[in-house]
Amino acid sequence: MVRPENARAGVGTVRIVGTVEAVESVEAGKEVGDRLGRLRLLASAIAGCELRVAPAGPGEPAWTDGRAVFLDAETSVREQVEALVVQASLLAAGSLDLGVVRRLRRRSALARRYLAVEGHRALASLEDLLPRSLGSLVDRELAARSDSPAASLAAALGREAIPDPPLVFGAIRARALLASLRRAKRSATTRRQTPGEPRERILVEVGDEEDERGAAIDLFTVPGGAGGPLGRLLARLLRPVRRLGQGGAPGADAAMKWTRGGAGGDRSFAFTTGATGSVPGPAPEERGTTYPEWDVHGRRYREAWCTVHEVEPRSEEAEPFAASNGYGLRRPLARLGMGLDSCHRQAQGDDIDIDAAIEARVEAMAGTPPDDAVYLDSLRRRRDLSVLVLLDVSGSTGEASASRQTVHEQQRRVAAALTRVLHELGDRVALYAFHSRGRSAVQLAPVKRFDDDLDALVMRRLGGLAPAGYSRLGAAIRHGAAVLKDRGATSRRLLVVLSDGLAFDHGYEPEYGAADARRALAEARSEGVGCLCLGIGANTEADALRRVFGSAAHATLPGPEHLNRVVGPLFRAALRSAEVKRRGSP
Amino acid sequence: MNRRGDVAGAPGASRPYYVPVGSEENVFKAAFRKGLSVVLKGPTGCGKTRFVEAMAHDLGRPLITVACHDDLTTADLVGRFLLRGGETEWVDGPLTRAVRDGAICYLDEVVEARQDTTVVLHPLADHRRQLPIERLGITLDAAPGFCLVVSYNPGYQSILKDLKDSTRQRMVAIEFGFPPAAVEEEIVAREAGIERGQAAELVRLGQAIRRLETGGLREVASTRVLIAAGQLIAEGLDPREAARAAITGPLSDDAATTRGLVEMIDVYLADAEK
Repeated sequence: MVRPENARAGVGTVRIVGTVEAVESVEAGKEVGDRLGRLRLLASAIAGCELRVAPAGPGEPAWTDGRAVFLDAETSVREQVEALVVQASLLAAGSLDLGVVRRLRRRSALARRYLAVEGHRALASLEDLLPRSLGSLVDRELAARSDSPAASLAAALGREAIPDPPLVFGAIRARALLASLRRAKRSATTRRQTPGEPRERILVEVGDEEDERGAAIDLFTVPGGAGGPLGRLLARLLRPVRRLGQGGAPGADAAMKWTRGGAGGDRSFAFTTGATGSVPGPAPEERGTTYPEWDVHGRRYREAWCTVHEVEPRSEEAEPFAASNGYGLRRPLARLGMGLDSCHRQAQGDDIDIDAAIEARVEAMAGTPPDDAVYLDSLRRRRDLSVLVLLDVSGSTGEASASRQTVHEQQRRVAAALTRVLHELGDRVALYAFHSRGRSAVQLAPVKRFDDDLDALVMRRLGGLAPAGYSRLGAAIRHGAAVLKDRGATSRRLLVVLSDGLAFDHGYEPEYGAADARRALAEARSEGVGCLCLGIGANTEADALRRVFGSAAHATLPGPEHLNRVVGPLFRAALRSAEVKRRGSP
Repeated sequence: MNRRGDVAGAPGASRPYYVPVGSEENVFKAAFRKGLSVVLKGPTGCGKTRFVEAMAHDLGRPLITVACHDDLTTADLVGRFLLRGGETEWVDGPLTRAVRDGAICYLDEVVEARQDTTVVLHPLADHRRQLPIERLGITLDAAPGFCLVVSYNPGYQSILKDLKDSTRQRMVAIEFGFPPAAVEEEIVAREAGIERGQAAELVRLGQAIRRLETGGLREVASTRVLIAAGQLIAEGLDPREAARAAITGPLSDDAATTRGLVEMIDVYLADAEK
């Protein structure tokens, strides 16, 4: 599965808060797009990685840039499938490795000869996997001439006659492949953009200083990295994005819009509440709460380092958030957070309720029909849970995820579903959105406080959220835990963090941030607050997430609809971890 | 409610069909002879339960299976007092029965059970091989031939931790994956009662789906799902129809993913129709 653009895993975390210029226009040929879009799964299955299918210009031979296969929409279904299989096989077999493609640049005749040999080799090498109906594509004689891309290239460079590749083999566009690689490289080396720089710039931050596993930072030539975090992010960066008109924030460029004055005011709720309403940066100091921060390098706390402000979320003009159904969360959550009560006089149970049994016996002897409910059972009955949902609304959540909705959109749906279901079940529940702009401006917006009712206002506030800024996770977690302790008023308390796991802010590098977030979670647990971290639709690597969330219960889900299967065990695990701590230190 | 376990593996019946992929049979039998407990890890539908059935048959032990769920209490496993007329009567739970009879006790999807429940397994799973029954005030020594087998599906990483380390470390682990293509073909052909060639196409489709890295899929296509598709084909259904019913539906509810899968089915099972 060697693909040129797959960078090697192990380079820490990368975060992209900008957007690449390419915004694909999709109005034309929507039907065609749908038809081809359906082939995406087939393409991804054969290539062994995420691969889109898009229409090529009419009459154009099929080609790929490593992220998408472009097919002529006018040809027959069979031809499309064949062309797709060839291109995907080339990617899967490593035929479009950087080293090879580089040598094909500006040598279209050579590329054709190479394709003629290598295409057959790639198909033959994947023979066990390909549909049998396409077996006729392979020319075994040609395939036998080569056993690797390098050998195919050597054959293509040789003088032997090689028949032209069949039409369905399409073409190798070395320039397009290389261009996308170069762009990836350029983006990867662009350092973090500071606020105030032109916003067309791409904002990338590479956490290379914390390369824990010691892997070499070899972005393009190390084979075998079928989608490391960097590779995947680069892939995402290069994919033509199609974000407009999907209801969410129009692209991650929302992150840049907070810079000056009212231009971005409608996007970033945090600034609409400032007294002046126009000056960004440190928010009014008067009512902030300060929290310490863990300095992993110095192994000490920085006292009163972060200032957290609670800012009213914007709600006047916002559309109410259209809450979807509960994603089937009600059933798993209904059983949670309840104290075990020993219930007398049950029809079944673990033990005999002696009083009831004697009574029943007396009644039977006295000739009245006895009551059969003579067992003791431990039932969860009592609702005894307060939950605070922390919603990450930093700029990075504005990125589109695999399912085309932004991470923000999906997280918001989950937040809404969780809040509503827990509220309906009778738990105390609050929802706070957070983002930050440096340590003195960590902002938490109470979408729903514990004592608020779940009404249209809450939904409007939720609807008004838009991703912006960064995420100083540790401070947000500390504040959330403090609010839970002050206002939760139950013995079981749970903090649910919905985040893409990219802890980053000014002076809050990924490694430092991850350590601080871990520390904050551990502090919360030691004070009896259970912690649960959910990544919804984010492409964060499991490793990166584990670094941030540590031993707290966490899960990454591809979409909100997957939550109902894991929410029960996760909530239980989170509550249990807090319970152990609570008992351990009375 | 106390009859949760079912006894299978009666001697004399033919051996449940199981094709070994690696050394799992030898490992299991060695563990059985030494009285060690076994944990079977693997995705759903890859043959864990069938493996235990085959082993119980080979070893000539009865098999008691308990499907664990999140309200499974210790009493459900060990047993409880019931009232019969004026008397109390103790009724053994499936675990106690297995301990007394020297049966193989198979706890399916053990992570689902409440954690306080799994603690009862500890003295049974280690060298003591004892089951204390608090309510009766006795401690049962496991009869020869008793073997504790648990299974779980390490799907979501964070939930994997749910099986306590103290429980895990008392067990011998056997990992299961999907069998290699040739073996899987044989299994599908035989279990579903279809031709080898037809089975091969289903297996190819299954393997392609497994390469998707669960892009929007809940789980990948398991051997069980492929067999179900094969069985529908054996009943005379059109292969594509059968695959849609047995593979697409169970794997995804998402409309876009479903369309993608249907497309894959149409490509992979193209010629079977003619």
